[in-house]
Amino acid sequence: MSFLQPILLLGLPLALLPIIIHLINQHRHRTVEWAAMMFLLDAKKLTKGIARLRQILILSLRVLAVILLIFAAGRPLAGGWLAMTGGKADTVLILLDRSASMEQQNLETGESKRSTALRKLADLLSKTANNSEIVLIDSATLTPTTITDPEGLLELPETSVTATASKIPALLQIAVDYLATDESGRTDIWLASDLRQSDWDPGSGQWQALRAELAANEASRLLLLSYPATDTANGNLSISVSKVGRRRAPEGMQLVLDFTIRRQSNSDEPTNVPLEFTVNEMRTVQEIALSGKETVRLGHVIPLGRNNGKGWGRIDLPADDNPADNTAFLVFADPPVRKTVVVSDDQFAVEAITAAARAALETDIQYEADTVGTDQLSRIPWEDTALLFWQAPIPAPDSPESALLSQHLATGRTLVFLPPAGASDHPFKGFSWEDWTGGGNDPLPVEWWRTETSLLANTQSGESLPVDDLNFFRVREFSGDVQPLLRTGENTPVIAKLISETPGSAYAWGTLPRTDHSSLATDGIVFFVMLHRALEEGANAVAPAQFRETGSGAIPDIPYSILAQSGGDASLTAPGLLPTAISLDAEGESRRLMALNRPVSEDDLKTLRPEAIASLLEGVNYRQVSDELNSGSSLASEVWRAFLVIMSLALLAEAILSLPARTEAEQPVVGLR
Amino acid sequence: MAESIQRDFLDPVVLGRLMGLPLNSRHPMLGSVSGRHRSPVKGSALEFAQYRKYVPGDDTRRLDWRTWGRTDRYYIKEFEADTNLRLCFIVDTSGSMGYETGGINRLNYARSIAGTLAYLTVHQGDAAGLYAGAKSEDGSTFQEELPPKRGALHLGVMLDLIARLKSGGETALVESIHAAAEKIPQRAMIVIVSDLLFDLDPLQEAFDHLRFRKHDIALFHLLDREEIDFTFDRPTRFLDLEGGPSLLADPSLIQQKYREAVKDYLGKVDRIVNHSVVDYHRTFLDEPYDQVLARFLMGRNPKTARSAR
Repeated sequence: MSFLQPILLLGLPLALLPIIIHLINQHRHRTVEWAAMMFLLDAKKLTKGIARLRQILILSLRVLAVILLIFAAGRPLAGGWLAMTGGKADTVLILLDRSASMEQQNLETGESKRSTALRKLADLLSKTANNSEIVLIDSATLTPTTITDPEGLLELPETSVTATASKIPALLQIAVDYLATDESGRTDIWLASDLRQSDWDPGSGQWQALRAELAANEASRLLLLSYPATDTANGNLSISVSKVGRRRAPEGMQLVLDFTIRRQSNSDEPTNVPLEFTVNEMRTVQEIALSGKETVRLGHVIPLGRNNGKGWGRIDLPADDNPADNTAFLVFADPPVRKTVVVSDDQFAVEAITAAARAALETDIQYEADTVGTDQLSRIPWEDTALLFWQAPIPAPDSPESALLSQHLATGRTLVFLPPAGASDHPFKGFSWEDWTGGGNDPLPVEWWRTETSLLANTQSGESLPVDDLNFFRVREFSGDVQPLLRTGENTPVIAKLISETPGSAYAWGTLPRTDHSSLATDGIVFFVMLHRALEEGANAVAPAQFRETGSGAIPDIPYSILAQSGGDASLTAPGLLPTAISLDAEGESRRLMALNRPVSEDDLKTLRPEAIASLLEGVNYRQVSDELNSGSSLASEVWRAFLVIMSLALLAEAILSLPARTEAEQPVVGLR
Repeated sequence: MAESIQRDFLDPVVLGRLMGLPLNSRHPMLGSVSGRHRSPVKGSALEFAQYRKYVPGDDTRRLDWRTWGRTDRYYIKEFEADTNLRLCFIVDTSGSMGYETGGINRLNYARSIAGTLAYLTVHQGDAAGLYAGAKSEDGSTFQEELPPKRGALHLGVMLDLIARLKSGGETALVESIHAAAEKIPQRAMIVIVSDLLFDLDPLQEAFDHLRFRKHDIALFHLLDREEIDFTFDRPTRFLDLEGGPSLLADPSLIQQKYREAVKDYLGKVDRIVNHSVVDYHRTFLDEPYDQVLARFLMGRNPKTARSAR
């Protein structure tokens, strides 16, 4: 329980007044000489139980009334949530899920889940956390910010609208790190989130360590302010563009789009939605038929006119419950050359890789593959390379090669480590090669592979790749912070993605496309798909028209200008967090276009069930506070009225108990005889 | 011994006013001399009682010769015998009799009743005696005893004895009653003055003992209204006049139960006195004792009994 005037609680000892008055009264007795002791003794014996109980009750009620009066004067705060929060914390951490899904709004009030949570937290903290240190960590920047005025929480750039995805484990990790370095004392961690499964990533390996660290910090308590998914009457539509291509037609160039519209609504009735396409400032509106929860439109054609080799556009949905997912930006330009460079001395492996890399996946795109010996590293054309295979010892961390590899990844290109034949002693961002295994005639069977995402994901039609057919004979093990994509028996990862924050992806393949190592080259389908998926990822970085997901660091650190933005106040929200079309104006380069869109994972409507949260936070001192978008309840409301009412009831009960017993004064006890 | 004895419990005005009211017994009395009270034996008073047949041995002087002349049979003519009254007081002198309220001491009140009645009794030619007692601290019963006699000299002794009575110790009224019942040889009038603040169970037996001896019992039950109504309003420490432990009590808590206990007690007293045909007078200390006595005396006079009740 918190109080707005806690100083008045110093008056609590006044509650002893009724007892003191009672004792004084007892002490102030007079003394009489008495003859009729027998009646006194009888009466006393008879009244021992009930009368004493009544007296104790009366006294307790008086004490209670005084306590309640003092409490009421202290202006207590309570509410469904505050009642559970217990006492006052020295530090309050606000972990804010700023993902696009938190922008779901109540159209009548215009309040989103994010702003509701912020408003309620601001209200609570301004009332209760007078002397507490308040620190905000938002999911978009993952940077702790000290808040001096809780009431201004809503106006901060760190709490403004974004169209990003959240990484709740990372958010919690920052909080745990903050608590570890900062002597924060008793801490309340408020985590405001809508419990999207994609944001919480229950499969992440981080949870185990997080659980242990949170549970070990006994002075902290996690208060999960959750906004479960609610189906609203209006429903919500979200749009995402999955592919943008161009084709030449007799009437001129055409833009060919693949896009997906997802529907979050109570009804699955077929309906038409007016989609607004804006391409190079030409606006067209087209009705698109929707059915079911998801509508995928492939090969939607928009005429570009005669000389439109390069440009940008946007697709807008009509306004609905969530404005953050109503816009998808798109950029287009001549496709880049898909350049693959193989750093290797292994002739057989090089042949297989270059052959696959040169094989054209799409006819109007140029595919190139170069080989560079391990002793000719200076010949690598870093600027043009979209995909780099590195079958050489990992360079020393302070070597120029290591810096170039990092730069390669930082610019969004793709890197695949292949196992070098010899020793490789240095690590690269924690990743390092271990010993070779296998080598016999018996292949290592495929145990498992990741089908939902990354290189081995199922095809768009949902069919899985024929990974089962692969055989591995020699595999070099590796260690580091990796996300396995394929494992053989005995839990050995063969193909994995290195976990890093860089825009570009780095992969580790523990085997080579050689017949004595694996059947990657002979059963070429999986190998081909993996290579081209990696190439596509990297090609986006070198493309004159790039697609990226919103997030901090999405925009490279070079001069740029914003072509269009949607969904929020550009002056408030940091660059890169909102859907944007930008033009990169690096010196010495041709102008490049970039479209930032919210991560597709944000359109995944799955939310965590309470049991899943309980298992994720097992052993952690946490409470879940479920709020709703439309709930007008406050985190803390003044409840002195309730105290006064209870006090009145206590006084009433006291008065009833104090009423003298019905005397028989009308009839004298005895008559004269 | 030059101890001066105050007889301030006697008021000449009251004595003078009550002198006109005779003290009558409700039952025939057996006195030693002739008096104004009915006797169970037949005697030679003026009032004709009955005729009865002569039997050998009867005094021939009492033969009614006129009847013999008319009927030729011997009849004896009998007349009522009038005798004197023996009045014995049994006064409770236990500690509780020392209770005082509004300047009135219960024992003083008892003295006034006993002294005034004794004066009236002796002055109408009857005999008066006194039994008084309480338990002393060692548990033995202390007893004052003055057998009933007539005469002014005896009255002086008795009034002195009444004046010397002191309250203290536990009550021994029941023992006093049994002792008096044994010691008073013939029918007498017994006047008990007490507050009856003790266990009433043995009292019934004591009264029965007196009734068995054919005594006429009158009881002055001296009570204070405060003892009945218990109207204290703040915590009070009650000191036991009979030496028991003191008691601190909040009257507001126990008042109801106290009154219930008093009611039970008075009901029990009523049952006992009704059973033993006791002439019971519940007397409150704030009531002038002359009124109480006047009511008592008038109640015993057949001519005024109705108006006294």
